[in-house]
Amino acid sequence: MRKTLLIVLLILVAVLAVPVMAQVDTTAPDLSAISDDEVNSVAKQLYCPVCENIPLDVCETAACQDWRYEIRLQLADGLSEQAIIDDFVDRFGERVVGTPQDPTLRNLSLITPWVIALLVAAGGLLAIFSWRRRPDVVVEEDDQTQCSELHDILERDLAG
Amino acid sequence: MLAEVGYIALWLAFIFAIYAIGSSVFGEMRHQEKIVLSGRNASILAFIFMSISTGVLEYALITEQYQISYVWSVTNPQMPMFYRVTSLWGSQAGSIVFWSWLMTLFSVLATVLNWRSHRRLMPYAIAYMMAATAFFIGLSLAFENPFARWWIIPDGSATGGEVVSAVFQPAGAEAPSAASLASSAKGLNPLLRHFGMAIHPPMLYLGFTGFLIPFAYAMSALASGELSTNWIKASRRWTLVAWLFLSLGLLLGGRWAYDVLGWGGYWGWDPVENAAFLPWLIGTAFLHSVMIQEKRGMLKTWNMFLVIGTFSAVIFGSFATRSGLVESVHSFARSEIGFPFFLFWFLLTIISVGLIMWRRGQGLLRDEHRFTSMFSREALFVLNNIIFVALFVAIFWGSFGAPIISELFMDTNITLGTDYFMMVTPPLFAALYILMGVAPLSAWGVSSIRRLGKSILIPVVLSILSLGIFLLMGVTHIGALIGYFIVLLAGWVALYETYRSVRSRVRAHGENPLSALWRIASRNPRRYGGYMIHLGISVIGIGVIGSTLFQVETQRTLAVGDSVEIGGYVLRYDQFDGGQISADGRLMDIANLTVIRDGQELSTLRPRRDFFPGTEGMNTMTIAGAHSTLENDFYVILLPSQEMSAQSATFRIYINPLINLVWWGGLILILGTIIATVPQEVMSTQTRRRLQHAPVPVAAGTGD
Repeated sequence: MRKTLLIVLLILVAVLAVPVMAQVDTTAPDLSAISDDEVNSVAKQLYCPVCENIPLDVCETAACQDWRYEIRLQLADGLSEQAIIDDFVDRFGERVVGTPQDPTLRNLSLITPWVIALLVAAGGLLAIFSWRRRPDVVVEEDDQTQCSELHDILERDLAG
Repeated sequence: MLAEVGYIALWLAFIFAIYAIGSSVFGEMRHQEKIVLSGRNASILAFIFMSISTGVLEYALITEQYQISYVWSVTNPQMPMFYRVTSLWGSQAGSIVFWSWLMTLFSVLATVLNWRSHRRLMPYAIAYMMAATAFFIGLSLAFENPFARWWIIPDGSATGGEVVSAVFQPAGAEAPSAASLASSAKGLNPLLRHFGMAIHPPMLYLGFTGFLIPFAYAMSALASGELSTNWIKASRRWTLVAWLFLSLGLLLGGRWAYDVLGWGGYWGWDPVENAAFLPWLIGTAFLHSVMIQEKRGMLKTWNMFLVIGTFSAVIFGSFATRSGLVESVHSFARSEIGFPFFLFWFLLTIISVGLIMWRRGQGLLRDEHRFTSMFSREALFVLNNIIFVALFVAIFWGSFGAPIISELFMDTNITLGTDYFMMVTPPLFAALYILMGVAPLSAWGVSSIRRLGKSILIPVVLSILSLGIFLLMGVTHIGALIGYFIVLLAGWVALYETYRSVRSRVRAHGENPLSALWRIASRNPRRYGGYMIHLGISVIGIGVIGSTLFQVETQRTLAVGDSVEIGGYVLRYDQFDGGQISADGRLMDIANLTVIRDGQELSTLRPRRDFFPGTEGMNTMTIAGAHSTLENDFYVILLPSQEMSAQSATFRIYINPLINLVWWGGLILILGTIIATVPQEVMSTQTRRRLQHAPVPVAAGTGD
């Protein structure tokens, strides 16, 4: 009898403990502690996953409002800005950030224009140096070119 | 009847454009003047019929002919007359017709104004102008017909029958009732119902289509082998006109974004914004390098590449915007015109480059002089061109290159946004500003570092002194101070060079400074207009640095009567006026706010949200409230929120320092461009008589 009573008591304690434990697990984070500015500072670094090329902090669709709310929840849960950004990239891909997080894509994106620009600059500078070395070219005008220039001068004179 | 007239006129314009191509080329090749003249007249007829077609569409919009599907899709009975007029370019089909009309307008102006002075260039130029125009008219005829009408083919069903769209009445079809069409008409996209947006697209289109003329002259020179400087002389002013409109379009676009898009900025590095900026960059490089060809007979091949690159960038940008290649607030809906557009751009670019290489192979694009000094103006202009091209590459890569390549070859979709552009472009812009400060001080041909150093000394001192103002304003950010110095230097050089010329004139002639300024500007509008443009760009630079680096922002939900403090200002939420109905049917939620500084009420702001009932897609518009001073803009946006009510509302508040300098600098730039565009011959004629009485040469510093 005593043993049965003990078992019943243990079950009762366990049953009572479940909601208490559950209460601990699902305690809603304090969202009011997170300001709109904190949410926007993360959202500003993200792009709307649905509408292309619109930053998440200014996108007005209902979906974006939900995503901003999600950022607020994540901040309240203690996630860092980078962790939230990584989470969005994991779920929606690299298109949600202004520069890719993947190191290869990031390097490719940032270095390529400089490489091309440097090639253009090198080409330009080489051209300048080669032009400096080259003697003045006396352009041999063929009869047709000379004729066309004279023709143009004549026509301009006639045009007044 | 109206739709048929517009449609037939469109076909006739197309046919005359095609005829003008064949006739001009054939006549020129066979040296048959009558056939060439016939081609010229056909190009004028293409303009006339394009005007009829565009006029008919505009008339249909104004008179609410809702059976025409384009009219039905962009207007409704509630829209005021102003927006009915501007809805001509409010959607794809109408904007292509408008674009084609502008192309024929520019073509006919160039033909009429330059026929005698550049007679040898004209036949091929007409052919190229008409070829580009025919392509755009063809797009309207084949894919985006603005004259298609709604018809109902009765089938006895409860819905009344099948709805079809066609210009001519299909067999057995009936016209829908006018009342049902009017009640279901969609109306213009709400984002376009703004004064700035009414002017911004036509300005951009004028800029884009204007670059057709220099392109056509360049291609004509290549095709005919007439590669003297005539094509440069013929195209320079047209390039300036196009550049003027494109600059104005970009500025107005920035202002529209600032007023309507509701994010507190004016440039979002959006791919479509960038698509309009790319031809501006290459066009600006061309405007500089073309001077080297005029003065020194150099960079002939390079100039060809730049002028063709500018028009190619126009077509590519248009393709990107209209085909659905990129999505943004600016782009048109996805459309079938993508492939033909891409093909046209590709062929245009390949043929142009092929012609350049052919003529270069023949030795017709050989330079006549060599560079003599690394500090000569031509050498500095080449550096300037390199930087413009580098900027073009960086922005093109970020907007189109990387996203397209990653999607095609790496199976991933990336967006290069503001982060990328803010990392890559500032050093290049800084280098451009430095050159803008140095290059005007160098001389053509030979220049030395010593001479440059001597010339730049006073502008450097003035720039350092000006920095004191920013230090007094509390700016301590080193990057910002360096940026301000570079930008100020470019502006001071422009002012100082103008001052030196005025001083010389005052000393030589005893004139008062204002009339001396008028005289020197009259005699060399290109040079002094150019200085004014540099000054405008410097002022814009100061505004951009201030508003980018020192923007302050916060977002708050306020109850009526609550206040928030930001950047020395206090904002008080006084009252909410919800559900206001305007004359055009929009519903407006308006917040009444008071801006207070040092205890004084400065102004009342009324940021609002407009809702357009019955409109599909984007049906809301955010209109900011701003208290503007030269120091900053106190800018407030009313955000959509469940809490928005008579009790509380959410606001995003920005303080944008020096942002108004962007608009003021833009005005200076536009004024400078107008001065630079004024024909020098006309100005010389005006001053010629006076010069006959006082023919004393003016010592005007470095020549231009």
